[in-house]
This record gives sequence, C-alpha cells and structure tokens, in this order.
Amino acid sequence: MGDSENPFGELLQDYVLECLPLAEQVADAFVELERRWREGDPADTLLTSLAGRLHTVKGNSAMMGLVPMRETAHALEDACALLRQQPECRNDEAASLLVAGGSLLVDLVRDASAELDPAPAARFVERVRQWLAAGGAPAADTQPERRRAERRGAEAPADPDKAANVVRVDFRRLDAMLEVLGEGLIQHAALAEAYRALAPRARAGPELARLDHAVVALEKTLKRLESTLMETRLLPISTVFARFARMVRDTAEAEGKRVRLVTAGGETPLDKAVLDRLSEPLLHLITNAIVHGIEGGEVRRQGGKPDEGSVRLEAAPQAGRVVIRVSDDGRGLNEQAIRKKAEALGQELRDGETVPLRNLIFLPGLSTAERVSTLAGRGVGLDVVAGAIHTLGGTIDVATAPGRGTAFTLSLPVTLAIVRSLIVEIDQERYALPLAHVAETVRAEPEAIREINHRGVAQWRGGLIHVADGGALLGTARGRPEPRRYYVVMSAGGKRRGLLVDRLVGHQDVVVKGLDAALGRPDVVSGTTILGDGRVACILDAVRILEGGRRAG
Amino acid sequence: MPHSFLVIDDSKLHHQMYRLIFGRGALAGSTVYYATNGREGYGLLAAHPELTMVLLDLNMPEMNGLEMLERRRAEAMHPHVPIVLVTTEGTAEDEARGRAAGAWEYLRKPFQPADVERLVLRALAEAAPTS
Repeated sequence: MGDSENPFGELLQDYVLECLPLAEQVADAFVELERRWREGDPADTLLTSLAGRLHTVKGNSAMMGLVPMRETAHALEDACALLRQQPECRNDEAASLLVAGGSLLVDLVRDASAELDPAPAARFVERVRQWLAAGGAPAADTQPERRRAERRGAEAPADPDKAANVVRVDFRRLDAMLEVLGEGLIQHAALAEAYRALAPRARAGPELARLDHAVVALEKTLKRLESTLMETRLLPISTVFARFARMVRDTAEAEGKRVRLVTAGGETPLDKAVLDRLSEPLLHLITNAIVHGIEGGEVRRQGGKPDEGSVRLEAAPQAGRVVIRVSDDGRGLNEQAIRKKAEALGQELRDGETVPLRNLIFLPGLSTAERVSTLAGRGVGLDVVAGAIHTLGGTIDVATAPGRGTAFTLSLPVTLAIVRSLIVEIDQERYALPLAHVAETVRAEPEAIREINHRGVAQWRGGLIHVADGGALLGTARGRPEPRRYYVVMSAGGKRRGLLVDRLVGHQDVVVKGLDAALGRPDVVSGTTILGDGRVACILDAVRILEGGRRAG
Repeated sequence: MPHSFLVIDDSKLHHQMYRLIFGRGALAGSTVYYATNGREGYGLLAAHPELTMVLLDLNMPEMNGLEMLERRRAEAMHPHVPIVLVTTEGTAEDEARGRAAGAWEYLRKPFQPADVERLVLRALAEAAPTS
C-alpha cells in the first residue's frame, strides 16, 4: 500500500466510499448519453451535469496519489469538454469511448490500492489523446473491431469476485474485530453479573458507586463500538447496482430489444457480506425481466407502450431493513399458466381457496418462460433466487398485472453480522430464531396439535400447518418429552411451519459467529452466538427448518 | 494559543484529510469547524471571528467558493480572517479571479500536509502585530 508515500493512505476506504458512487453515476450517465444520442437527443444537460462528479473524482484521486484514476477522470473530462463544444462529434464512437472510460473508472476506484495495474488507464488515456488529436473524428478503419473489443472490455470487470477487493481485505479484519467485540461483551456480562452478586453484600461507599458507574459506562462504550463497527461494514448498494447498467445494455441488445435501467436509492447502505451475495439473485431477476418480461418493440407498440421497455431497480431503508424492488413494464406473469404448471407439478391447490401466486412462483421447477432463451433459460428458476434471498435472512414477494408488468420486492437485513432474534429454550438449551422468519408465537394447548400421518398438525389462522418438535429436529429430545408449551410459526417464501419449544426467553440482537462455529452441529443450525449471559447459543436456520418439513412429507 | 480553522468542502473525504493535517505536529489540538457548502461555511465564518484560517473549496453545490468570497467582501465579514481558495488543477485565470474576489491565498490539489502547515505559519506571521 502507498501509506508510506501518501499522507492520506489510511483514508483509502473513505476514498472508495465517496468516489465509487460518483464514478458509478458518471458511468451510468455515459450509458444514458449513448442511448439518447442514438435517439438524436443531444442531452446537453446530462453532459454538463456529470462534470462536477468527474471533477470530484479527479481531485480526490489526485489527493490520494492514485494516478490511474486521476488520469482516467482527467481524460474523460477532456473528452466531455470537447463534446460540449462540438455537438457534431456526439456519435457512437464518442459514446463508446465514454462508456469504456466510465467502466474503467468504476473498476479502478472499486479496486483502489497502490498496487493497481496502471496499464489499462494508460491505454485509455492514450486512446482519448488520439481521439482528441483527431478533433473527435472516428478512426474509420478500425471502428467496428474497436467497438467489439470495447464491449468485451466492459464485460470483463463485471466479475463479482473482483468487487471491492480492497474492502474485502479490510473486511477480514472487521470480522476479527467483531469476534473480539463479542468476547468483550461476554466479559462485560460476567463483570456485571459479579457486580450484581456483590453489591447487596458490600458496604455502600464511593468505591461501590464508582464500580457501578464503570460497569454501566463500559457497557455503553461496548455498544458504541458495536454500532461503529457495524457502520464500518456498510457499503452503498450502488456498488452492486453499478454492474447492471452495462449488463442491461448488452442483454437487451442480444435480445434485440430496447430496455433502459432506472435505478434509485443507490446510496442505501448494506453490510458488504449481504451485498456480496445479493448481486447474483438481482442479476437473475433483471435478466428475467429483460428476456421474459419486456416484450419486443412490435408487441409493445400494439399495446400502446413506448418502444423502449424499462426495468427499475430501487432500494430504500425501511425499519432497520433494506427493501429492494426489481420491476419492469413488460407483459406481466401469465398467472393461469403458472397455476396449471403448479398443478402439474403436484402442488395441492386447495379447493375453495385461491393459493396466492407468490406461493407458487418460487416453487422448484416452475419457470415462467414460454420459450427457452440463451440468456435466462439456464435452468435457474425463481426458486433458486428465493433460496438465496432466504439464506440472507430476507424475504421475496411478487406482484404482477397482465400487460402492465411485474415487480419483485425483496426485504433484506442490513447486516448478517447481527441478527434480530427470538431466543427460545428447547430441552434446557437456548436457541436464536431470526425474527425475519418468525410469523407468530403461539401457546401450544395440548389438544391443539393432532397427529396426521405421524406428523404434528395444528390449526393456525383458519388453516392447517405442520408442527415439528424442536427437540426431535435438534436431536436433544430424550425419551418421551414433556409436552412443549409453545410453538413458533416460521415462514419463508409462502411456506409455514410450527416449531415446538419449551420457553420463549425474549428478543435479542445476536452477534453471529463464523459459520465454522456451526460445524458438527445439526444441519438446522446456521451459526452460533453468545447470549447476554455469556452462554453459547445456536442460531437456527429457518429456511432449513421449513425445507425439512417438505422433505419429511 | 490553540488555533482554529474552518474547512468548507463538499467532500467528506477532504474533511477526513484535514482532520489528519490538523491533528498532527504543531497543529495538534486545533479546533476545526466543517461545512459542506458555501452557505453553511459563511454562517460559521460569521460566528467565529477568531479563526486562524479558512480553507475554501472552489467547486461546491449550493454556494461555491467564489460566490462565498464575493458575499464576504460585499458584507465585509471578518476581513482579517485569511481565506485559502482550494481547487483542482485550476488555471492562472481561476487564481486571478479568486484573488480578485478576496482570497488570501490559493492552493492547488494535490497538496501535502506540509503545504497547509506553511500557509498557517504565514497567516500567523502576517496576523502578528508588527508594532
């Protein structure tokens, strides 16, 4: 790292946090410019409005001693200046140059470090220099090859593994810090416990008051450390959104459609661990929208829609979680076809009650595609998307209107490191159940649970749900257990299942220990945590519990 | 006597950089006020006649650096406080405009902590009573 040379080296992560969204906005604006120029719109305002962001990226890169970023931003500034003065140069060649440069700038900033390979930036700067020298004229002979090369060039950096490498290095340290913090919390709990035991027997005096103060102050400090640490792990969701602008452009082109991506709420922060696992499911939903949702130009015209389809990607914080919406203005889902197919798959569609679409669409093997496409028809269905979201402690829902479009709504926890949980007791052991998947807790009256085909079944909200014994799932039930007093209704992706427990202890934000801590535990355990009283508790995997129910059936 | 500074810059990263600069060496212990645009910055300038120096970014939303300098001159707000106009690769023309609007000095990015320290020393020397 260049810390030794640059006095601001320690601010590298702050640099990425500030400049990445700016670089992404610039890159997206270039894609938008290309689109508008093709339509004959000179887009003067857009061209002018991105100058400030580009300038900030250049200035910040210069201060950080990050030469490739500074020079790339500088070259783009020069190119934009020429294009502002000479509208006649606003052609495909120029757009391609800008899109490639924007793409490069995003990749450089995202992977910011002193060991950055300066070659791609140098090549780009040289290309801009030649283009400027020719007065913005296209180099006629090499243009098509160049353009294709650009496309490939813009494609390659979308590799999610490359995303925010610098942060990833820091992230392991953040995990280690979280571990230490966890230990600190346990030690504080032990100290507080000892103090509480000692206080009634000790002589009141200034020492005792000081000790009391110190215990309270230490707790506050640890809590502050916890929230600061959590904040440090957050990145704007635009780090994921940014990959999609170019992907949408290329996918739509391959499909012979015109689609624009509209993003909103890119500044919404999410834990990097969540972000890393979010890009694949989002990619799939967006690809689906372009390939299956948006109609061809002819069909759209007949339906009175604009030729160009739109896919919206929006994020917003909501009550401690993040809600993400992926919507399109395409043909909507064919509900009848889905119901028919679900029936063919053996899904019981109970009489007298319409099973909501959301309970069917995420079933394995159910694809909405009427034809196999090279892009989306890779055998990955919405069930895989839903599975990935559930694993993150999230939920997914769908709404659709024929001819008007489809919207998927995802709700995700801001972090995976701390999970809001319901603490329960099963066979004298405590467990944490992620609250995101807890629908309700119910007192288990002895007569309420009946056995049908060796499976417990209870009445719940006017229907029947399967109820499993927590001790049996975890292998802790010895002999004939006492009847358990409560069951917790778990829910994910329209599936519901009750889990019998002995006691409801309360709610707690638990710090998740690494997954290896769960090794050798039953497969319904996704991790471990330390409770306030210092006891180790397993975190139960709601999705596994719900799947277990299906397997048993 | 501890120094106090006002940083007016829309970049949070630059706030962090100034925090490092004013937290080390002879400047450690200084009070630093931060604003993210000219409007906020002007309010802070008005409230703190004791400021040792102001670092003012040129390009900002709301009120930019030049606009703030012009307002300050028009209202003769604490004219004794030296204001350094900070720009990225500004031209000689920019510099002339900045000085004409009342900037005491001109600082180009990228700069080093030592550049700021030198400016502070000069500001102190010029402010010291000569009699």
